Amino acid sequence: MPKSLFILYESAAGFSLFFVEGFESIASNTEEFQEALSEFVRFSKLVKLVAFSPFITAEAAFENLSKLSEYEITSNLSNFLNSHLPKVKEGKKPKYELGVFDHKLAAVIHEQLKLPATSSEKVTEIIRNIRLHFERFVDHLRTSDVIKAQLGLAHAYSRSKVKFNVNRADTMIV
Amino acid sequence: RGGGPKRSGMKGGSKVVIEPHRHAGVFVARGKEDALCTRNMVPGESVYGEKRVSVEVENPNDPLVKEKIEYRVWNPFRSKLAAAILGGVDNIHIKPGCKVLYLGAASGTTVSHVSDIIGPDGIVYAVEFSQRSGRDLLNLAKRRTNIVPIIEDARYPARYRMLVGMVDVIFADVAQPDQARIVAINAHQFLKTGGHFVISIKANCVDSTVEPALVFAREVEKLKQENLRPIEQITLEPYERDHAVIVGVYRPTKKKSKTSHYEKEGST
Repeated sequence: MPKSLFILYESAAGFSLFFVEGFESIASNTEEFQEALSEFVRFSKLVKLVAFSPFITAEAAFENLSKLSEYEITSNLSNFLNSHLPKVKEGKKPKYELGVFDHKLAAVIHEQLKLPATSSEKVTEIIRNIRLHFERFVDHLRTSDVIKAQLGLAHAYSRSKVKFNVNRADTMIV
Repeated sequence: RGGGPKRSGMKGGSKVVIEPHRHAGVFVARGKEDALCTRNMVPGESVYGEKRVSVEVENPNDPLVKEKIEYRVWNPFRSKLAAAILGGVDNIHIKPGCKVLYLGAASGTTVSHVSDIIGPDGIVYAVEFSQRSGRDLLNLAKRRTNIVPIIEDARYPARYRMLVGMVDVIFADVAQPDQARIVAINAHQFLKTGGHFVISIKANCVDSTVEPALVFAREVEKLKQENLRPIEQITLEPYERDHAVIVGVYRPTKKKSKTSHYEKEGST
């Protein structure tokens, strides 16, 4: 029996969890199918939003981004996943997989949270299309809000990068 | 760089007429000498000491009131995108309201003009790894709210995935040997299906042991393998030596794709 698939999607606005219903059909990567995925009406039939947990403060968003970019699991993330994913009984094989952005993150989640995280080309493809439609999945979330969140978070993150490593030599190769 | 000129205007305030360029959002200032320019989003300020030109136009609602519009002169010797436009590139795909991922933003010289072109409805995600240039980029982004500054390595899009949305165009000026790969991994995550890419390639940075033409041909092959299909290629003479700009489409869809101009013209 094929396992069901959840997807973790991280945005500047918060964490969200999606459930993929038509996983088998997404596996085929034909051109028509790609076009279908770029239409929200059809994509939203295959992929459903399970939970969205916005970052409460700018500081929380910043902490999550900087830790995640170094592949550290934050308490926000582990709480979010544990409260929304089906429980896995000890000694039993889980009936689902959790698709994440890349294999390193999958490895860390697997090791620390004991969740069946995975990454693959298919998962990447789904995340790509979630990124395309994200605002339309979440009620009361507008594109301008997401861009505002990105702007605020990018400024905070980039400032910390510039400040944090003042003495480190530039590694730019010209 | 020094301070800007005391008064705005070209060549001592001689009469200048602004005309729109073929590319939306780009303008030509016709005075004693013609100059490429973009409409300044932050009037009264130069970004890197470039000249500013302002013209008075009639307010469409009230013909008695004159409005001042300021433009910033865009130097093709300092910006490869400007050089490509003057070199006659068919389409830059960066236009008002557009979302752009800009890899290799440096201090933001060209980014500031891209910010002018796309205007308040557009957004440019500007990625730059060097902290020295990054500081200038951050300061620029404070004044222009359509720039999202990202001080991070473009080789690791995972690190900035939370900061970037889907984009219409990727512009890349990273000058790295593996730049085709860098553009590809970013395109796979962030570039819309049927979106476009514009890449500036410095032959020396990829491989300094072979002819530039061969380097460009190899890069084209690498791009094709990643589903980044080149449409046109131009060299940046006389503004830059051994540079080429390649423009193309990502995951071309059947409806839109005609036979690529590229095959007909061949590489230069």
